[in-house]
Amino acid sequence: MPLTSRRGVGVLLLCAALVASLAVGLGVGAVALDPRTVLAALAHPHGTDAASVLVWTLRLPRVLSGTLVGAALALSGTMLQGMLRNPLGDPYLTGGSAGAALTIAVAIALGVPPPAYAALAFAAALGTTVGVASLARSGRGLSPERLILAGVAVSSLFAGLTTLVIMLAPNTTISLTILAWLGGSLAGHGWRDVGWAALYAAGGALVAASVVPALNAIRLGDVRARALGVDLDRTRWLVLIASSLLTAAAVSVSGVIGFVGLIVPHAVRALVGADTRWSVPASLPAGACMVVLADTVARTAAPPIELPLGVLLSVVGVPVFVMIAFRRSTA
Amino acid sequence: MIDARGLVLGYRERVVLRDVTFALHAHELVAIVGPNGSGKSTLLRALGGTLTPQAGSVAIDGTPSHALDGDERARRVAFVPAEEHADDDVLVREAVELGRFPHRPWWQWGAQPEDTPLVDAALARLYLEPFAERRIATLSSGERQRVWLAAALAQGAPTLLLDEPTSHLDLAGAYAALDTLHALAEDGAAIAVVLHDLNLAGSSADRLVLVGDGTVLADGPVSDVFRSDLLTRAYGAEIAVHHTNDGALVAVPSRRTRGERR
Repeated sequence: MPLTSRRGVGVLLLCAALVASLAVGLGVGAVALDPRTVLAALAHPHGTDAASVLVWTLRLPRVLSGTLVGAALALSGTMLQGMLRNPLGDPYLTGGSAGAALTIAVAIALGVPPPAYAALAFAAALGTTVGVASLARSGRGLSPERLILAGVAVSSLFAGLTTLVIMLAPNTTISLTILAWLGGSLAGHGWRDVGWAALYAAGGALVAASVVPALNAIRLGDVRARALGVDLDRTRWLVLIASSLLTAAAVSVSGVIGFVGLIVPHAVRALVGADTRWSVPASLPAGACMVVLADTVARTAAPPIELPLGVLLSVVGVPVFVMIAFRRSTA
Repeated sequence: MIDARGLVLGYRERVVLRDVTFALHAHELVAIVGPNGSGKSTLLRALGGTLTPQAGSVAIDGTPSHALDGDERARRVAFVPAEEHADDDVLVREAVELGRFPHRPWWQWGAQPEDTPLVDAALARLYLEPFAERRIATLSSGERQRVWLAAALAQGAPTLLLDEPTSHLDLAGAYAALDTLHALAEDGAAIAVVLHDLNLAGSSADRLVLVGDGTVLADGPVSDVFRSDLLTRAYGAEIAVHHTNDGALVAVPSRRTRGERR
């Protein structure tokens, strides 16, 4: 099959998988709804029957926040892996999400109300990323190797500080709240949280879209990209800003969810190839589908308790990742 | 096409070349030769506008190179660096298509209608059609060199600067690559190419630029530069020039002084 149609089929498959995962996420739960009931409920936003209320106040905001978080994390990871030319690229590698996590842990300890989380997370993610980038700057501009080193160092520092905040919290309830939040969860989200985070994510996606062709040129090597007219430093800064906005959106909604930003870009490249004009857009439905499905499992696998989504994603994600990596290396 | 005057080139405090004046015109193939570390690649980078000279000026098509932004520069000059690692999963067609990058505004992601025939023509000219959908990591180094040359052709710039494009090619492959460049120059391109191999340069180029002793030692038609005294001075070892029966020039370091190179 010709290349373009192969990629097109890959993107279509991912979109179909997202639609299917949304249907599953809306239908499955303590009260199971068959697809026809879900569709009928979706058509009546202000319906008073049990199904409409359940879908519109609980399940729809939840699957939509899953879609948002998954798409944002996957997009951020794809952009960072492209910019750093390193398959380990991930919002956790550049320090952004560690900064956002620490800030929100402090906010919980101090009793700051949740609606402020998105703004705090963005300020922290951007502040940390800019700090890391300034540490990584050398005479010859922003070097990926130094960015990774500085990011890993700052992330460890912030992870340590976050643990300290948990231990020093005024009481155990607060410590447990922070811990639950660090485990990553989509529980209890209303429309307002989704709206704010969506705004940040959209901003991040727009900035990301502006550098996709330049990221493609960077795959040929730094010197070749410069010879083609790419401004390397500008491109790297724009990717960092986009990644901060996307990380803030995700972390403020769901807490710390690892691994999506790392694994989805690899899966997407295996499916549609590494051309960023395909892999970047394809990462959106792929990440969304992964988080929505994982969240459905997290809230239904062991009732009445909910498994922490972040933990579940790591436990299931790591073996899948190892499988993909192994298959690619032997292919 | 390119007009460089009074260049002083280097990195930070280290000066590599001084007093360089050089012009490159349409319809000519110029080879830049000289010993290792003499500054051939440095000169090429300055001509391409990716290295800012410490003194002097480079004009590209009459415009000072520092006044051109990246895209404008890349539409006028295609620069092919010496071997640099590209991601393994880049496909041949993708790499050649990226030559069209400087012709697109930043919001334009996809290939333009006029791009496809140019990319196809570049692939065909370097016999790369059978490889179009292969990953570049699966190609031999010689085939990969052809990919970078094809990308430079797709770029459509009237000036081509190439750094050691034949370093991984076998004897026949290297001469064939230079023949391709020669044909492009005949079609109107201005081409400067850094070459390691004096004999290849002497038999293929219209003009030689000999770099050595921190400056340009000679610049002119092959017969004026390919001389025993100049080469001996540049390479710091006695070099004899022989004529073969079919008129080609061959440089050979003399057996006596091979071990005495300073």
